[in-house]
Amino acid sequence: MSRTNFIERTLNRFARAMAKALVSERTAAKPGLLQALDPRVRLIGLLVLVISVILCRRLEAIAALWLLAVVIAIASRVSMATLALRVWLLVFVFTGLIAFPAIFLTPGDAILSFANLSASAQGLRTAALLILRVETAATLTTILVLCTPWTHILKSLRNLGVPVEVIAILAMTHRYIFLLVDTASQMFEARQSRAIGRVNTSEQRNLTSRTAGVLLGKSIELSHEVYAAMVSRGFRGEVRLLTDFRMRFRDYCALAIFFCAAGFAVWMGR
Amino acid sequence: MNLAFELKNVKFDYEGIPAVQGLSMQIAQGERIVLLGANGSGKSTLLRLLDGLCFPTAGSLEFAGRQLTEKSLQNETSAFEFRRRVGLVFQNPDVQLFNPTVFDEVAYGPLQLGWSREEVLRRVDEMLAFMSLANIKDRPPFRLSGGEKKKVALASVLVLDPEVLLLDEPTATLDPRSQSQIVDLIQQWKGTAKTVITATHQLEIVEDIADRLFVLEAGSVIASGTPHEILSNGELLLRANLVHAHRHSHGGVVHSHPHLHGHSHHDHDHEH
Amino acid sequence: MHIPDGYLSPSTCATLYAAACASWYAALKRIKRSIGGRTIPLISVFAAFCFVVMMFNIPLPGGTTGHAVGVAVAAIVLGPWASVLALSITITIQALFFGDGGITTLGANCFNMAVVGSFVAYGVYRLIAARSDVSSQRRTIAAAIAGYVAINASALLASVEFGIQPLLFHDSTGTPLYAPYPLRVAIPAMMIGHLTFAGLAEAVLSAGMIAYLQHANVGLLRQSQSASASTSTSRLWWVIAVLMLLTPLGILAAGTAWGEWTARDLANSHASPVIEAASKSQLPPGSVPAGIERLSTIWTAPFPAYAPTFIKSAAVGYSLSAMFGVGLCAVLSLASAAVFRKRRESHA
Repeated sequence: MSRTNFIERTLNRFARAMAKALVSERTAAKPGLLQALDPRVRLIGLLVLVISVILCRRLEAIAALWLLAVVIAIASRVSMATLALRVWLLVFVFTGLIAFPAIFLTPGDAILSFANLSASAQGLRTAALLILRVETAATLTTILVLCTPWTHILKSLRNLGVPVEVIAILAMTHRYIFLLVDTASQMFEARQSRAIGRVNTSEQRNLTSRTAGVLLGKSIELSHEVYAAMVSRGFRGEVRLLTDFRMRFRDYCALAIFFCAAGFAVWMGR
Repeated sequence: MNLAFELKNVKFDYEGIPAVQGLSMQIAQGERIVLLGANGSGKSTLLRLLDGLCFPTAGSLEFAGRQLTEKSLQNETSAFEFRRRVGLVFQNPDVQLFNPTVFDEVAYGPLQLGWSREEVLRRVDEMLAFMSLANIKDRPPFRLSGGEKKKVALASVLVLDPEVLLLDEPTATLDPRSQSQIVDLIQQWKGTAKTVITATHQLEIVEDIADRLFVLEAGSVIASGTPHEILSNGELLLRANLVHAHRHSHGGVVHSHPHLHGHSHHDHDHEH
Repeated sequence: MHIPDGYLSPSTCATLYAAACASWYAALKRIKRSIGGRTIPLISVFAAFCFVVMMFNIPLPGGTTGHAVGVAVAAIVLGPWASVLALSITITIQALFFGDGGITTLGANCFNMAVVGSFVAYGVYRLIAARSDVSSQRRTIAAAIAGYVAINASALLASVEFGIQPLLFHDSTGTPLYAPYPLRVAIPAMMIGHLTFAGLAEAVLSAGMIAYLQHANVGLLRQSQSASASTSTSRLWWVIAVLMLLTPLGILAAGTAWGEWTARDLANSHASPVIEAASKSQLPPGSVPAGIERLSTIWTAPFPAYAPTFIKSAAVGYSLSAMFGVGLCAVLSLASAAVFRKRRESHA
């Protein structure tokens, strides 16, 4: 195993995380269906649909919900390529791998046999149910995130009763994730360029621990500094936010449609 | 003459290590002061003391004639009043940009101080326009350049319209254009009632932004005076680690002199 | 270990959400009391730190790599309650923003990793480190073991949650509706990976970070020692947890407890010699006494004889009953403590 392989892979993960954020920003700015709705309606509506995916017991109902998700995605200018790569392919591979043995392990009416393995109808259904559920739920949440800026999600949550302190922490954490990813990237890149010759596993481990350690030290120092900056501009322990969403007629309509769709799916899929 | 700050023998220890030792100074309202010193000279700590983020372990610090202590800031009204009147722009803008977007960042101070929603929106929009930041107001901090971050940090403090502005290394790590923008801004306040105290080690901007200089070394003031006085004193600058020395030989004689841009006056003609 | 949407049934999700919410509520209350405004940036930055650390590839012996969560580090440095919040925030952002882990399963993920993980890590660390010197090697070892045990505790919980799905939630044809593998498949499948790679990675990271802190920032470790919540209660919970896991041993005891016979036991002719032997050779009544007969039908317990009807394995049923019972007691005592505190405060 190459000496820098684990560094490369870590750096790749960092890059992917940043890329995700950028795609979100771009999609959220497009003039689409979801983008035109109040963020709270988006949040509640899509969550209600996710819950109905979990409540449905029939494949057909879940498939219908998936189709609905795709329609919403197209109407909201979400790129199908993004969805396919970011969600569908990944879920199919991972969940597929997990669900595959269930086809043979689930007891029931055998439909196929080779060697001493027999695939049961129940096994096929359960695998299909699992994969379809995970796909649909993931599609819905991805669409929500792609079409809504993080700040709007937070403000919607605030409106829905989440305590202010939690909102403040969520906002600050999100903001500092990018700073720390940047810092960690730089640290790893520096190591990469300085590493010469073979580095054995225990040295690699040391490297990772030390990088994590330095990152921790910087994180804690950062938190003290941020606190000072907050106090400097008047923070006294209470969080104050600007919330400025107003529901319009179409928002109420959309909300009603979401609930109806979810209710219908659950009723059909019971 | 109204005094903005008066320090008498102020000492401050940080985890047992003295960061500021026996510092005394008077800063009048409307003055533009520069604290000149290398890293570790105590200038950042001094700025924090002036902003009431930490308090002297000995000595007295007065703002506008009143003692600045932990107790004096406990009451909400007096705390809010102080926070509005004195603003500090931190050296590392990432520390100061802890809100999700530029708009939220500039709005943070006014919101904390309890201004009305309309007032907050109005003042923030004004400030964003003033600093030419309106087109990036919905951007998150990680998508800003170094210069933009510094401007947002400055805007987030200026929006409160403070009487005293404390700037910690405002132009460090900036490209020349951004640097000159900041310097222009500080120059605008010359002659106004705004007191500006800048901590920096960059000699080239000092003349433009200072009426008076304090040179710090290891937590003490080792000299004070006008920019001209201080900047022409090569030995002083060398001692305070603000310039480096050149060593060269002329026909077997080795001598060294401080390397000052535009202020060199020693008796040999040299080409650098 | 982040469970995506679709693997857990709605009722499982709801139950675990309730457990998670209760923990968050308790954590928020405690944090507010101890450090005030400073906590917000501290938890935020720590949550961001855990997020980044979860992306590290940690090289392990044998040329493999693993991922760690950092739960032990968080629990040790921040204390268990703040760690609950910090890790929950990390998990929430991973689910909401980066699509790692589901939203209906957010409660489950937070409960498994943030709540149980933090407390187990904290408990184990305190147990092993005891009063040893802050810079001693014992602390590093304690951290490693704490991380290892915590991750495996979380994984065990997750695998149990997976494993009970097909038992509880299937349709009329026997098709599992959610996670399709029963306990005897789910538990080994999940635990193998965690007992080896993930556990090792966590141990390596935890030890490495505590060692780093011992060199670079001992003050932080000392601070967390004094600022943390009362150690005696954490140790108590740890003891209770161990006892809960050992409850199946009770099944080994033969016969029934004296005096606790049901009407059915008394009517059973096979049981009389046993009862006689246990009662100092006093003969039991020939038929069931009328009073017992009458009263025995008044109340039917939900989990008769500590064996929930839907659990086939006696040992698992026993342990689950223990967890349920302890959980119920804990909730009731916390609730009554809260009520009494409110009364006291309103009188004061």
